[in-house]
Parts: sequence; structure tokens; C-alpha cells
Amino acid sequence: MKPESLERSVISRLARGASLAAACAALALPAATASAQSGPIRIGVPTAMQLQVGRDTQDGIKMAIEDINAKGGVLGRKLEMVVADETENPETGISAIKKLTADEKVDVLIGGYTSGVTLAQLPHISAAKTIYLNVGSASPATNAKVKTDYDHYKYIFRVGPLNAALQARQMTGFISTFVKGELGLSKIAIVGENAKWVQDLVPLLKKGATEAGADVRAVEFFDAQTSDFSPLFSKVKDSGAQYMVVVLSHASSDIFAKQWHDSRFPMAYGGIDVKSMDGDFCDRIGGKAVGELAANFAVRAPLTPKTVPFFDEFKKRTNRQPVYTAFGANDAVYIYAEAVTRAKSTNPDAVIKELEKTSYVGIPGTIEFDENHDVKPGSATFKGPALLFAQWRDGCKREVIVPKTMRTADFVYPSWIKQ
Amino acid sequence: MLEILIVGAVSSAIYAMLAVGFTLIFGVARVLNLAHGSFYALGAYGTYVLTSHLKLPLLAAALLSVAIVAAFGVLIERVFIRPMRKSQLAVLMITLAVALVVEQALFLTFGSEYRNVPAFVDAKFTIGGVNIAGARLLALGVGVVVIGALWLFIQRTRYGSAILAISQDPQAAQYMGIPSDRIFSVVMALSAGLAALAGILAGPFLTVQPTMWLLPIVKAFAIVVVGGLGSIPGSILAALMLGYAETIVGYTVSTSWTEIVSVLATLLMLMLRPAGIFGRRAAF
Amino acid sequence: MFAKPVDLAGAAVFVALMAALPLAFPSNYLIGVLTVSVLYGIWAVTWDFMSGLTGRENFGHALFIGVGAYTAGFMNTTFGLNGWWSLPASMVVATLFALLIGVPTLRLKGPYFALAMLSGSVIMQRLMLIFWEQTGGEEGLNGLTPLIRSQIGFYYFALAALAAITALLLALSRSHFGLILRAIRGDEATCQAAGINVTFYKIASLAISGAFAGAGGAMYAHYQLQVSPQLFAVVTSITIITMVYVGGMASIYGPVGGAILLVLLTELLRNFGEWRLMIYSCALILILFFLPGGLVAPAWRRLRAALTERRTARTVPASQERSA
Repeated sequence: MKPESLERSVISRLARGASLAAACAALALPAATASAQSGPIRIGVPTAMQLQVGRDTQDGIKMAIEDINAKGGVLGRKLEMVVADETENPETGISAIKKLTADEKVDVLIGGYTSGVTLAQLPHISAAKTIYLNVGSASPATNAKVKTDYDHYKYIFRVGPLNAALQARQMTGFISTFVKGELGLSKIAIVGENAKWVQDLVPLLKKGATEAGADVRAVEFFDAQTSDFSPLFSKVKDSGAQYMVVVLSHASSDIFAKQWHDSRFPMAYGGIDVKSMDGDFCDRIGGKAVGELAANFAVRAPLTPKTVPFFDEFKKRTNRQPVYTAFGANDAVYIYAEAVTRAKSTNPDAVIKELEKTSYVGIPGTIEFDENHDVKPGSATFKGPALLFAQWRDGCKREVIVPKTMRTADFVYPSWIKQ
Repeated sequence: MLEILIVGAVSSAIYAMLAVGFTLIFGVARVLNLAHGSFYALGAYGTYVLTSHLKLPLLAAALLSVAIVAAFGVLIERVFIRPMRKSQLAVLMITLAVALVVEQALFLTFGSEYRNVPAFVDAKFTIGGVNIAGARLLALGVGVVVIGALWLFIQRTRYGSAILAISQDPQAAQYMGIPSDRIFSVVMALSAGLAALAGILAGPFLTVQPTMWLLPIVKAFAIVVVGGLGSIPGSILAALMLGYAETIVGYTVSTSWTEIVSVLATLLMLMLRPAGIFGRRAAF
Repeated sequence: MFAKPVDLAGAAVFVALMAALPLAFPSNYLIGVLTVSVLYGIWAVTWDFMSGLTGRENFGHALFIGVGAYTAGFMNTTFGLNGWWSLPASMVVATLFALLIGVPTLRLKGPYFALAMLSGSVIMQRLMLIFWEQTGGEEGLNGLTPLIRSQIGFYYFALAALAAITALLLALSRSHFGLILRAIRGDEATCQAAGINVTFYKIASLAISGAFAGAGGAMYAHYQLQVSPQLFAVVTSITIITMVYVGGMASIYGPVGGAILLVLLTELLRNFGEWRLMIYSCALILILFFLPGGLVAPAWRRLRAALTERRTARTVPASQERSA
């Protein structure tokens, strides 16, 4: 080849290589499928795939999808699920949303777990104008902007769990009617992990408990990564409290229970303990959780006509007990399907109008949304979801203790505590 | 006060077992093995599998687990570390990748939730009015015994002298006919086995989940640097300091501050006395 | 001139390709992935400039990223300032932190310096969590306003920033300044004996590295529209070092390719569901094992040699390859 044409050959070789690389990239990133009005309705699931909550979210959705599809689908269209891993990292979460909305072009998003990730995802969900049904994060902040910035954030709904502020109120009820009222213990210690939603919740809890007449002797926060609770237990013991109220979600509840049991800690404990909602929580720590009272959003009891059949079907399919995201995920699919049916379209604005009118009998209770698109809690007049407090008993069985109306057994103290 | 003394001692013992292995490998091979935390994790998980799935008795499961992890350590050394020994960063990166693979393998096999490693001693003891779990005292006792045994091994046996020789001057040791490659493997096995043992002892009362390798390795790294890279007494002393510093802060202030105290202490030590307490090789 | 025509041609083709991709395949997802990879590219290049050249591996690069991002976050959400002020502000703050931690620790060598920097980033992460009332704890700061509303517009801005920063650092690395940095890596004592103010050069390179990384952090904050303590994490620093490694240490331009490759890889592997991270880690082992000099820079050198082989009568001996 002559020197003059060398330049051209260099450029042409580079250009050829570049277009080859571009073609490879294009083939690798999956092409977006057009969401025609006659194709399947696609449900995007951003969730923490490697965690139990993520697995149960997917299984809960799958169950609902298969049921609805067997009955003919929605508006004659089948439902389809696309999962994207959001992990617990906001960066991965944001890219999961983009993958689902911009690439997979889903019609609705159902998922969520860590509040920090959900909060990070909100502006991107809003920019994508896609409905998001939250089934896992509890921070009130996720729905705070729905009323104040409706145009941007009307897409955000929470099907579950009850937000942290509502949980605090229910916990206050637990403390005043049960711990103080029934057990007669008025000196309590409040122990929570360093997560933001807990830090927001605990002051409300302390205030409510004090107003109800309890004597809050200690309020301790600890790092979610803590693996040694001896200093914490020591402080709680020294404070003179008689009962330890806990608020745990990401923290090492397993170790907490193990160390509580191993050191024969001289007081009972209970409260919000997300990991304790797992069906095998007690088993996997060798039965050391026996005695703990943990809040659950649903247990295998006839809270609604759907509760027991769901638990049984879930157990049959997956051989596990469902965690709380499964309830929300399952209900969310039906709620969305019904809203789409009523709106006669998947157009987000139309569906949102119908979603706001939702009154669906779900697994933990009747699901309705308030003006912030947040799930309404149960009350004397409304059979919405409420916190149930169940105690681990010998053989790792659970019995509902609070509320009294749902009680299946009486409370017993852990074996080493003399009463 | 007594509680702080005992709990601090237990933390220190676990840290010491991790740090001593880490510093041994560095002293001998000039290698920072980030997969060291994986040995810790595999020891715990190995015992879990052997007891709950294969139904072996606890002691047998524990010993078998230590042996398997030690062998795994030698395998890692032969396959991944030895070819990369020329560059410290290369070894760092590849051992890190190995640690990630191990973590993912554990995730995929066992799931993200905690697993139960049974304790040798389930009873609770009361010492001077302080309730302490039997498992913790066992960790302390075994830790002291094993590290003591290792110390004797290094000081009194021929293999031990070979290890000392290589860590002081690798080239001279080679001229003297000491088979350095074989010694590396021995040291790796010891180091991995020690970490696995720490995992088995700590498993019953600390965390057992796939990500359990990261925090111990960061702490071990810090301890080893503070104590002086390559110095076993330095690691032990630094482990004690760190263990007690964390415990004291945890009891007096709040557990939120324990991490930052230990990291701050490390940073200060590096700024003021970079060679560490007993560092023979200066850091600069 | 520090770059041969073929180098400039390669750079031009690369930038053109990166700019054309979102036009050819319009998708907010692709733009998002490319934007994030470009930002990681900025961080990787800045790391390579300091640590690659001087041989002082910095295990706490996340410190500068997080500091830049949080500066942007506070300025935008707490003080309501326009996002564009964040860029210079984050550079100033990051430089301050570089001096703060660099001055006492840059005398340290190897693992000691690495650990010191790592400690710095971990301390900042902890502080963000401890003072959760001001910093939002692990939820971080949310509700930042974007710098440029259009997704593709911001992407082009980031790409331009990457190109400019890479060009600047490449020029510096091939100048007298860079020569001294490399000499420090070779033998610091001799440099000192020769009368060079080694401390100044080390601190200056750390400051430059930190300043641009901080700017990248601010850009990241205004793109993701949120800032969280995860930015300070050890994982972040290590990811960046991995990208530099895959790209080719001390090449400055290699890390760009390394960053893009690894971010793309993470996203492409989404199809593998739960196995994503496992495959990623295995791929990493293979790359680290079989390509200890990295992937991108050696590949470019070979490509360049192949393209220009008619120019030189003899082939470039392997020992000279490193100097490019």
C-alpha cells in the first residue's frame, strides 16, 4: 500500500472497528419492545433480587399474574413480569428504573424495599411517567410530595407496608394497651437501629408512649452493622427498664435474638422486627427467638377471606412462609388490574384516577389510599391493615397476642424470666 | 467494668486470630490477601453445612471445616497469588475478586439470610455478677490457646525458624536453602485455618451471612498496619487495643461511634507512627 | 506535540462513537448507562493520574467523589443555589480535603498510604451516618435539580467534560510534571537527593486528582438527583481501582475504556438475574489473571502499532511500549 493512502486506511480501519463495536453494543442491550395496545401488559419489578424480600415480591406477583391470566387477563391482554435488580444501592436502583421504563417499556412498576433506594428512584420514575406501586419501603417521605407536587408525583402509590409514622402510632397503642395495660410494665426502653426511618419514628414513639403513661427509661440507637449487642444490653439493663421495645429492619435481628437468649437477658422484648417476620426466623437461630413479640402485617389467620388461602398457596408453591412484601406485591397486581379494567386503558393518567378510588380486600386487610396515595391503616371503623403482634413459642410456632380481638394464645414470659 | 473487660477480651481474641494470619502472610510473602475474610466466612459456613446438612457432630464438623478452608487457602495461593507475586496491587486485586466470587457463591447457595452455626457451649456463665455466654468465653479461650501455640511453633520449631528467616530476608533465606514456596503454602494454610477457626468460634454469636468477609478484612488490615506489618506481637497488641477501644466506646458512648473510633485511631497511628508499634519495616 | 496523529484520530473516533451511540439507539436507559460510565471514567482517569503515575495507590478515592457530591447536594437542597455553582465549589472543597488528608499521609508508602486514604473515606461515610439529622443518614439528600434537563444534553456535557479532563491530565502526564511523578514512582529517594521537592509534587497531583474527581461527584449528584453515603463506600473506591486496572495503569486514557467496559458489563449482565454479580466477579478474575497489564491500553497500543506499522521500518520493541 502506498504511503498516501495510509491515512485513509487508518481512518477506514478505525471506522470499521468502531461500527462493529457499535453493532455489538446494540445487539447486546436488548431492543425495546413496543408496547402496543394489544400486546401483553408488562409489570416491571424493581426489587432486591438476592434478598428474601425480593424473592417473595417476585413470587407474590407471579401468583397474581398466573391467576389473572388464567381468568382471561386484563382487557383481554395477558400480564407479564420483568424483574430488575435494584440491590440496596441507590445507583443500581436508579439504573433498574431506567432499564424497566426506558428499555423494557413496562406499563407499571411494582416493587421496592429500601427507603433510601426508593427515594432516589422517585424523580426518575416521575420523569418516566410510569405508575409505581411500592410494596416494601416504609419511609413517609416517599409519598410526601404526592399532594404538594401532584403533577410530578401522582404516579407514586404505596400498597404496603404501613408507613413508619403509622407504625409508630400502632406501636404506641401496643405499648399502652398491652405492655403497660396488660403486663403492667410501665418502665420501657426503646432500642432502634440507625436507619433514617427508625430515627424519624422513635421520637414519635417516645412521645406517644410517655403520653400514655409509660416511663421511657432509655432510648438507644445502634448501627445496623452491629454484631455485638452486649454494650447495648448492658445499658438497657442498667436503665431499670422492665420491657425492651425494638425497632429493627436491616439490622442483625438474628444475632440480636441469639445474644438476648444466650445472655438470658432479664427482660422480654418485642416490637417491629422485620426479619422476625420471616417464617423460618426462629428456626434458623436454633429456636432462640422464643419469647419475642414481633409485629407482622399478616399471619396465617382469617384477617380477610384472602389471607389463609394466600398463605397456603404460597407455601405450596415455594415451600416458604411469605414475608410482608409478598402481601403487598400480590395485592398490588390485583389492584392495578382492577384499576385498568375500570379505566378501560393502560394510560397512566386514566389508571391513576381509578387507582385513587381503590377499595380492595387484600391479604392484610382492605386497601385504600389516602390523599398522599399512601395505604390507610385499620381503625375501629375501617378494616384496613394493622400491625399484629405475634409471639414465637416453643417449637417455633407463632401465636397472635395483640390485638386482643385476634388473640390466639396468652402471652408467656421467656423461660428464664421469673414473674 | 468487669463486663467491658471480658467482652473486650473476646472481641480482641477474634480480631487477633484474623490479624495474626493476615500479618503472617504479609511478613512472609509481602502479600496482602483480601480473600482472608473469605476464609473467615467459609469456616463458619462450612461448619453450618456439615452440621445441618451432613449431620456431623459439632467438633468433627469444626475440625473438618478448618482443614478444608486451610486446603482452600493453599489452593488460592498456588493458583492465584503465586503467579502475581511481583505486583502487590495485582495480588490485592485478584484476591479481592476471589473474595467477591466466594461471596456470590455463598449468596447463591445459601441465600442472603443468616445461617445458624451451633455453639459448642450453649450455657450461660456468670463471672463476678456478669452474665456472659459460654460461646464467647470459648472463643476467648481457644483464641488464646491457638495463638499461643502458633507463637511457640514459630519460635521453637524448624519450620518456624524458616518462616522467621523468610520474613526477615527472603533472598538470604533462599540462599540458605530454605524452600520458600513450600513455606508460603504452610503459612497460607496456617493463616486460612486460623481465620476459619475465628469464623467457627464467632459464628454462634456474631453474624453469618455472605457479606461477612468485608468488615473483618478491613479491621484486620487496620490492626495489622497499626501493629506493624509482619509482626505477630504487634498484631496481638493492636488487636487488644482495637477490641478494647471499640468495646469501651460501645459501652460508654454508643455503638454508632465504635467504627469511627477504630478507623480514626488507625488514621492517627498512620500519621504519627506509620511503622506501627513493632514495625520492623518502616512505612516510608 | 505529545500525541501522534493516530492517537488523535483514535480519540476522535472514540468520542464520535460515544456521541453517536445514543443517537443511533435512542433510549433513556442507554443514555443513563453511558452517562454513569462517563462519570466513572472521570473518576478512573483522575485516580490513574495520581496513583498510576506516582505508584501511591489511593484506596480512598471515594472520599473526593463523596465530598464533591455532598457539596453539590447541600448547596442545591439546603441553600437552594443553582446547580452550576456546585462544580467549582466541589472542586474547591475536594482540593481542601486532598490537602487535609494528603499532607500528613503522603509520606507513607504502599499499603500504608492506601490504608490511610481508605480510613479517610470510611470516616466521612460514618460521619454522614452519625449526623443523620443534617445529612439525611442513609437516605441521603434527595431532590436535587438537574444541571441540564435533557438527558442527552447532560450526557454530551459529561462526555465533553471527560474528554477535556482526560486531555488535560494526559498532557500533564506527558509534561515535565508527569515525568517527575513517574520518577517519584521509580525512586523517590533519588528524586529528593536531586533536589526535587517531592512533597509538593505528590500533594499537587493528589489535589488535582481530587479536584476533578470532586467535580465528577457534583455532576453525578446532579444527574442521579440524590446523594447518599454509599458514594463514600470502600466498594466505590475499589470499583474505580478495578476499572483503572482493566484499562491499563498509568496510561490515563486506558481507565476511560476500563470504566465504560465495566459499567456496561454490569448492566449487560442484568439478563442473568441472580447470577449477575457472580458472572461479573468471575469475568474480573479472568481479566486480572490473563491480562495483568490491563485490557484497553495494551489493546490500543497493539492496534496503533498495527495501523502504523508501515510508518516505521522496524517494529517497536516491546520494552518501549510502556512509555506510551
